[in-house]
Amino acid sequence: MAGGRTALLHQYVPYPFHITRPFYPNPPRPDLAALYLQSASGGVYAGDDLSLALEVGQGAAAHVTTQSATIVHACEAAPARLTTSASVAAGGFLAYLPDPLVLFPAADVAATLDITLHNGARAIIADAAAMHDPRGEGRAFARFHGAITVRDASGAVRLSDRGGVDGAALSGPGVLGGWRAWGLLLVLGPANLLPDPAALEAAADAAGCFAGASAAPGGLGLAVRLLGPDGGTLGRCIAALAADAAQALTGCRLLARGK
Amino acid sequence: MIATLHALWQADSGFPSGSFAFSGGLEAFFAAAPQADGTTLAALLRDTLAQRWANSERVTLAAAYRAGTDLDAIARADAALEAATLVQPLRDGSRRNGAAFLAAHDRLGTQGVARLRAACRSGICLGHLAAMQGAVFAALGMDLATAIAAAGYAGAAAMVTAVVRLGRVGAIEGQRALASVLPLLADLAAAAPPHGALPEGFLPMLDIAAARHARSALRLFAT
Repeated sequence: MAGGRTALLHQYVPYPFHITRPFYPNPPRPDLAALYLQSASGGVYAGDDLSLALEVGQGAAAHVTTQSATIVHACEAAPARLTTSASVAAGGFLAYLPDPLVLFPAADVAATLDITLHNGARAIIADAAAMHDPRGEGRAFARFHGAITVRDASGAVRLSDRGGVDGAALSGPGVLGGWRAWGLLLVLGPANLLPDPAALEAAADAAGCFAGASAAPGGLGLAVRLLGPDGGTLGRCIAALAADAAQALTGCRLLARGK
Repeated sequence: MIATLHALWQADSGFPSGSFAFSGGLEAFFAAAPQADGTTLAALLRDTLAQRWANSERVTLAAAYRAGTDLDAIARADAALEAATLVQPLRDGSRRNGAAFLAAHDRLGTQGVARLRAACRSGICLGHLAAMQGAVFAALGMDLATAIAAAGYAGAAAMVTAVVRLGRVGAIEGQRALASVLPLLADLAAAAPPHGALPEGFLPMLDIAAARHARSALRLFAT
């Protein structure tokens, strides 16, 4: 915090990352900084091993998103790895809402997201991916694996959502049920400030997606699984649900600049 | 031969483990999909076993089995499954079935079960079915592959029974679906999960169906 609002105190952003200066687009929360992550590389390629670490200080509030969806290109030579960690100090708030990964044919990627919440910290975390064949031939990605871990201040794991799928296994009715994009939205905060799960599901329906919300393990808040017809629709749905959740958690809907 | 008979006993739907009331989200799926039939059931069984049970409950069972009488290690496996089960109705159902399973074995006087129940009551353990099965099946003297086969078969048979009772799939069609996943179950039993594996799964559609169905007024089964 600096001058009553959240400031970007330290940054180290080597290629391919770029980060904008902070914006403050939310009148109800003039302290809340909005940051846009950008990539100069045009996506994720075979053998990439990219790491991102975020640290939200005591009482600070940040909304971190991406400029656009991230394409994962074919990875015949070697899988790609994406590693993100975020720590939210006491009384802090983080909305980490990257656009979905777009998995091109033969993409092979493992993405990990490690969140540490200190006492009284709140967070809204999204993680989503979609399959897409630019030639429209229905070619699937090779492999996707995601791992989201939420730890408390002591380091104890309170939530661990790990799962992987081969492109060939996606046709099962219980896996995607014909949808082509999937995601998870975590709304982490005290029970009395959480949004109504049924209302989140209804908002997802209205956005052309399909969601199931229920209490997350460890008394952390809500976990919302999502399916969508494509990455763009699912990304917009997640932004809408996150705005509803942020209104409930922080009194502010996370207004953002147009992407 | 006694280990085989123990496995048949534990996989039998007559054993009061609570699994008969647990559809794993299949009831919810069938409620939302009027066109679903016996072929769909077979595909959902395969999805559930391959995309959730193989790397989640099976991993937990193996960890608790290998823990022997080490209560802290059983509790760690139990807690890891709790953290990995994001959908509340599935989490609650797994714990409820574990409690019923332990209660039955406690009344039967199965070795070590009174200690496990006490650990659940005091909060050391949470009592998820897979963790309790691992600990109890080890105490019964089953080898790990047989323990995995018994638990996997009991779970799959319970899901079939749930859908047949809904009247959406006939008894023979249900048994055809169950038979179709036996080779997969055999493969999963033959290959022991690696030591230290964390529970994981990828079954968004059934997770969503289970979460939404929890608020539905018309329900026959726990999930």
